[in-house]
Amino acid sequence: MRETWVAGAASGRFGRLSETGREAGTRVALEAIESAGLAPKDIDLTVVSNCFGIAERQAHVGPLLNTGLGIPEVPSLTVESACSSSSAGLHEAYVHVAGGFADAALVVGFERLSHLDTLQATSYFAMGADYPFETRNGATFPGLYATLARAHAERFGTGPKELGAVAIKNHANGARNPHAHFQKEISESTYLGSPMIASPLRLYDCCPFSDGAAALVVVAREAHGDGPREPLVVRASVRSGSIADLQDRPELTGLPATRLAGRRAFQAAGIGPGDLDLLEVHDCFTIAELLALEDLGVYTPGRAGRAEVEGETARDARVPVNPSGGLKAKGHPVSATGASQVAEIFEQFNGTAGGRQVPHPEWALAHNVGATGGSCTVHIFGHR
Amino acid sequence: MSDGGGPGEAASSIEGLRAGFEETGRLRGFRSACGFVTAIWGLRCPQCGDRLEPASLASTGRILSFTVQTVPSDEFLNDAPYAYVVVELDGGGRVTGWMPGVRGDDEIALGARVRARSSYKPGVQFEPAGDDGGRGA
Repeated sequence: MRETWVAGAASGRFGRLSETGREAGTRVALEAIESAGLAPKDIDLTVVSNCFGIAERQAHVGPLLNTGLGIPEVPSLTVESACSSSSAGLHEAYVHVAGGFADAALVVGFERLSHLDTLQATSYFAMGADYPFETRNGATFPGLYATLARAHAERFGTGPKELGAVAIKNHANGARNPHAHFQKEISESTYLGSPMIASPLRLYDCCPFSDGAAALVVVAREAHGDGPREPLVVRASVRSGSIADLQDRPELTGLPATRLAGRRAFQAAGIGPGDLDLLEVHDCFTIAELLALEDLGVYTPGRAGRAEVEGETARDARVPVNPSGGLKAKGHPVSATGASQVAEIFEQFNGTAGGRQVPHPEWALAHNVGATGGSCTVHIFGHR
Repeated sequence: MSDGGGPGEAASSIEGLRAGFEETGRLRGFRSACGFVTAIWGLRCPQCGDRLEPASLASTGRILSFTVQTVPSDEFLNDAPYAYVVVELDGGGRVTGWMPGVRGDDEIALGARVRARSSYKPGVQFEPAGDDGGRGA
């Protein structure tokens, strides 16, 4: 397999788009291509993610993007894996480039849901769950993660102190990220005073519904290894799955798909969790960040909450987790999220992350979950 | 326990499982040679890959996890707040469902015994069951 890099990346401001997802996706794609020192004509594959394109009455968006970029003849495909769509798109791009089927692949994820009301948006999000066996039985998406939080609380004593620490830390990071949906710090009393959505999860345990777009350019070193910016060398690109429905998994205190993808990714990269000095993990709900850190082996089961409370995951601490603000504060435009995590690591590796810069990261991990863990993607990046 | 015509036909489709539950109030699912029991439709066992055989499931069990949802999905718009529960059934298998009228965490508990029942909605509804396991019903 060929050495493969993320040579360009771009992420727009998350929150509310004043244009269609298609327009935002096309703009951010061009920005990513140019950041790699390439032109659209250098792209030979476009991988698009836009889970809820139906909310904009649009499918088959790849050719629309390519046409708008002036490369209508380039093949495109759409990758859908719920909230892990564009990290799955990155994996497909990696497979093509590493395998020699493309020299430069464009990965684009975008979403626009802000024109829907909360009820409609909640119903769209629930589509990632099992309709006849979860949603029709009353589950909402926060509700499903709440059953995990309840089980974690019962086994390890995880409560509002631990969950709140995740929210407060990620908001503090988001406050320093000009791309973030929420650029404001929150206090413990604000967290505790926010209403219950699905007990034990409060409003401030939940990521927002966001619009947004992010894009990556994946190249073979041997074809395009002379770009203007410091690339992310892909040391592992791993996807996994697990039983889709929570209730049929052996336990509710972790996500088996994360454990599987994490184990395989560390094996492929030849490093362990202790070598990481930067993580962007999937914190759609605060409990999800704790599960991610435990399932990846950064902390032993039941210990991530305490580490968060003690500040070990802060931007300037030993293991910075979600310096971007995470899904929690940066926002969660479903199909843009996976690509935006990698765009954050790209800025961090280039030393251009401004007020949220982590000092000299050597090894970074991006972790992205589809729905409640039926899918998972883990990427590990190093330097040249 | 009478099987009311056997679980096979009802379990042959997702719609059959739903209609069977609505008509009889009895839960059906599948059992595999490895001992895995599931209420979720499939052709092969997600644990061992072997055949899934249709099976009757108990309608009573204990709450394994729960949440009280104040923001519902559109199909439950007029029902919030209510509990969404994961239930470990007596005799194996887990089923999820909703419990109307549960307004807060202090009105429900892990380990509490519940009984599945059909209602005016297509999904599985649970209600509190006595410590006799619901067999008195």
